[in-house]
Amino acid sequence: MTAPRMMALRAFLASDFIYRFRRDKVALVSFLVLLAFVLAGLLAPVLAPFDPYDPASIDIMNSEIPPVWTDGATDPQFLLGTDAQGRDMLSTILYGTRISLTIGIFAVMLQMVLGISIGLLSGYVGGRVDAFFMRLADIQLSLSTLMVAIVALAVFQAAFGTELYSDLAIFMLIMVIGIAEWPQYARTIRASVLAEKHKEYVDAARVIGLGPGRIMVRHVLPNTLSPLLVISTVQVANAIISEAALSFLGLGMPVTKPSLGSLINSGFEFIFSGSWWITLIPSVVLVVLILTINLLGDWLRDVLNPKLYKG
Amino acid sequence: MALLDVSNLNVEFPTRHGTLHALRDVSFTLDKGERLGIVGESGAGKSLAAFAIINLLSKPGRISGGTITFEGQDLTAMDTDALRSIRGNRISMIFQDPMMTLNPVLTIGTQMVETLQAHRRISHAEAKRIAIAKLREVTIPSPEERFDSYPHELSGGMRQRVVIAIALLTDPSIIIADEPTTALDVTIQAEIMALMLDLCETHDVGLILITHDLGVVSEVTQRVNVMYAGRVIETGSTRDIIDAPKHPYTRGLIAALPQQNEAAQRLNQIPGSMPSLDGIPPGCAFNPRCPHVGERCRREIPALRALGEQQVACHSAEEVAALAGNGGSAS
Amino acid sequence: MESGPIDHLIFLGKRLLQATLVMFVISLIGFSIQDNLGDPLRELLGQSVSEAERQALRDQMGLNDPFLVQYGRFLSKAVQGDLGDSYFFKRPALDVIADKFIATLELVIGATLIIVFISVPMGCYCAIKPNGWISRAVMGISIVGISIPVFLTAIFCIYLFSVELGWMPSFGRGETTAPFGWESGFFNVDGLVHLVLPSISLASIMLPLFIRLIRSEMMEVLESEYIRFAWAKGLNKYRVWFLHALKNTLLPVITVGGVQIGTMLAYTILTETVFQWPGMGFLFLEAVNRVDTPLIIAYIIVVGLIFVVTNTVVDVIYTLVNPTVRIAGKAS
Repeated sequence: MTAPRMMALRAFLASDFIYRFRRDKVALVSFLVLLAFVLAGLLAPVLAPFDPYDPASIDIMNSEIPPVWTDGATDPQFLLGTDAQGRDMLSTILYGTRISLTIGIFAVMLQMVLGISIGLLSGYVGGRVDAFFMRLADIQLSLSTLMVAIVALAVFQAAFGTELYSDLAIFMLIMVIGIAEWPQYARTIRASVLAEKHKEYVDAARVIGLGPGRIMVRHVLPNTLSPLLVISTVQVANAIISEAALSFLGLGMPVTKPSLGSLINSGFEFIFSGSWWITLIPSVVLVVLILTINLLGDWLRDVLNPKLYKG
Repeated sequence: MALLDVSNLNVEFPTRHGTLHALRDVSFTLDKGERLGIVGESGAGKSLAAFAIINLLSKPGRISGGTITFEGQDLTAMDTDALRSIRGNRISMIFQDPMMTLNPVLTIGTQMVETLQAHRRISHAEAKRIAIAKLREVTIPSPEERFDSYPHELSGGMRQRVVIAIALLTDPSIIIADEPTTALDVTIQAEIMALMLDLCETHDVGLILITHDLGVVSEVTQRVNVMYAGRVIETGSTRDIIDAPKHPYTRGLIAALPQQNEAAQRLNQIPGSMPSLDGIPPGCAFNPRCPHVGERCRREIPALRALGEQQVACHSAEEVAALAGNGGSAS
Repeated sequence: MESGPIDHLIFLGKRLLQATLVMFVISLIGFSIQDNLGDPLRELLGQSVSEAERQALRDQMGLNDPFLVQYGRFLSKAVQGDLGDSYFFKRPALDVIADKFIATLELVIGATLIIVFISVPMGCYCAIKPNGWISRAVMGISIVGISIPVFLTAIFCIYLFSVELGWMPSFGRGETTAPFGWESGFFNVDGLVHLVLPSISLASIMLPLFIRLIRSEMMEVLESEYIRFAWAKGLNKYRVWFLHALKNTLLPVITVGGVQIGTMLAYTILTETVFQWPGMGFLFLEAVNRVDTPLIIAYIIVVGLIFVVTNTVVDVIYTLVNPTVRIAGKAS
């Protein structure tokens, strides 16, 4: 970090951006709620009263206990009740949030790494490399991510068998969601490389002998920060939705190590028998989590107003 | 009585950081068949003045004062429907960029016929006949075919001819042309201007020509308003103003015109640039750039006052007028 | 400067070439799945066959041939509509899928109708009156809408309308009749009633997306010079909004819509799972659980075909309705 960068950072903190953030209550509340989610995810092992992964702590006799605020056979140990296996809902939801967030964030990081590399390469090299990747991006965007993910995971599951697959699930989910969504990043980065490529300072940098890699990283990437930020927010929300959908279909996290999606799935059959909380509580958590991210994304888009690649 | 009488027109834009006064006390008149130029740099408010006449200000701009009397009716007091029956009917507009003016997904014919049908009870066939006649009048080759063309199938010059034809469709009494040739190739500019002048004369249509180009104004118009930072600073007959400008800004504009008979002369530029609306200095808005600036100019906004044949808003107008004989004019 | 039929043919040719390429890649994927997933011999013979016999049969079935030969054989069969027999149903996989296709199509049509008839007027309204309270409410609700996964909407619908209120059936397709030669739930009340909740669920996440898309496109269009010129011509406001602006708004929306049809197919899997709707998606998940390889491959290829066909059709429609595309590469 050079001195001008530090000053840029300071200017950023004193800027309109922070001012508008403080003034916008929706953004502020969303940010706080999201922060709470992230902390809850990080600290799940500390916060959770039980360890839902430890079979010893689960007693089937405790199954389907309703949350404490309802009438009926509640148990003060289990604030949010228990699921069909007798697991404490609160603990399971905390761990589930942790898994959903982990998959969402890592999948988006993978998308970003892939997308930025391909975008830089495509924009800088141009010609056939560019044509190839952009065509590929077109085709990939024309197929739906979720469809590709469902098919890929279904095939993996059929190939590996359910047992082995559940051990690999978290890794597979990150890979599949991560690989399927690079085009948007690639296109944005490519567009900004093309825009910057012929500007004077890039020429100047080339003249003083900086390599293309350094030019790109030092000069082009900083200009793409705001579109990347906006895309990433939306993408994390989408990745979490995709993960939930895949887990709901039984192609994601197993019931023994549930994400929010698999938790909803495992409770689904019980809503007909009246045990609504097994499905409803994790659903509300999932929706609130996605909603706060989307609200922040909307707000960022309004404030930063970046040139996003359309289509 | 004048055909159009704009009196003390004020336009403002409410923004988060306060209200911006884009037009202040703009007054002018236009007689039947008269051609008036409105000249100024971009941002001077000349386009706003034109759009304000038929209340087509872009949001959140609004008319905050003054009257616009057209054929005896105050347009600012009119409801939307009444105003709509005047727009494109009695008062037509020609926009700057013909590439953007025509709707890309509708044929030329559709865009012409709808204009006629918006203002007259008329059959499609009859409207088509009139439209094709107008296309012929603006010298578009094979107008019957062009009637079914989409805008993108025509060149920029041809599109501007179509726009002119649309403006003339309803035999309006005023055409407002906002920089009608700026976006065109230099070679076509003179052609389009000549066509407009010719058509206005044959149909006895009043023309309000908005431009930054004093050269065009001197060829086409009979009277001219010079605008600066939202105010009219000098107004009078085109001849008088070109020959003997009395505002230092007008004088600067004329001095900046390329001289045809004096080869290789360095162009005179007015130093500095026009202030933006939120940074207008106290007193005369031109004072930071003015060679004749005095203490009074920084304090007191000069009012438009008669001086000789024209009107001028400058404290030092007499001083400037005295200079007029000693070169610097474009005649 | 006129765009001739030749331009159309070239454009169409390019699109078909790309479509063929994509189908080729999908078929390659399908084939590698067949090659790696499950052992066809075990399905045919069971476990109690000697190694020598197995080898003989492998040779006989061509399973020991070089990859390209096997792939060629797979492709030529596939082109003739033969993707093998489903292990479970003991019937040609394509036939099994064809039986379920109508059920899925009903869902897609139902959801599309909901999306089109709600998103266009809502999007327009929000663009025309962006600061009205209705617009603010619609935009607020829409962001909640895109934050609720399809399967949750489905579950909530069932919980509310079936379990709690008992107004709607909670699962299945209901009665089907065949007045026009194919079995469908469109032609009787019971079938239509069963269609309501699944269609709403399927539409639920895309509806807000489209409302937002149409709103932002239309707001951009309303700022354009040609709209200002339309006002200057003294046109009626409805003509300006719903002809001049809407036509330009819908052009980019059509392209997005084409892409979204693919996404909607993915969502049918979720909706069909929740509602136990006997469509292709539900069938596919069952096939995955049974490791019914031919059926899995057939589904992938059919879905790939649907993607490619809809994308191509949408592109062609786009060029037909958008006059400026027709002279691509031939600027005036």
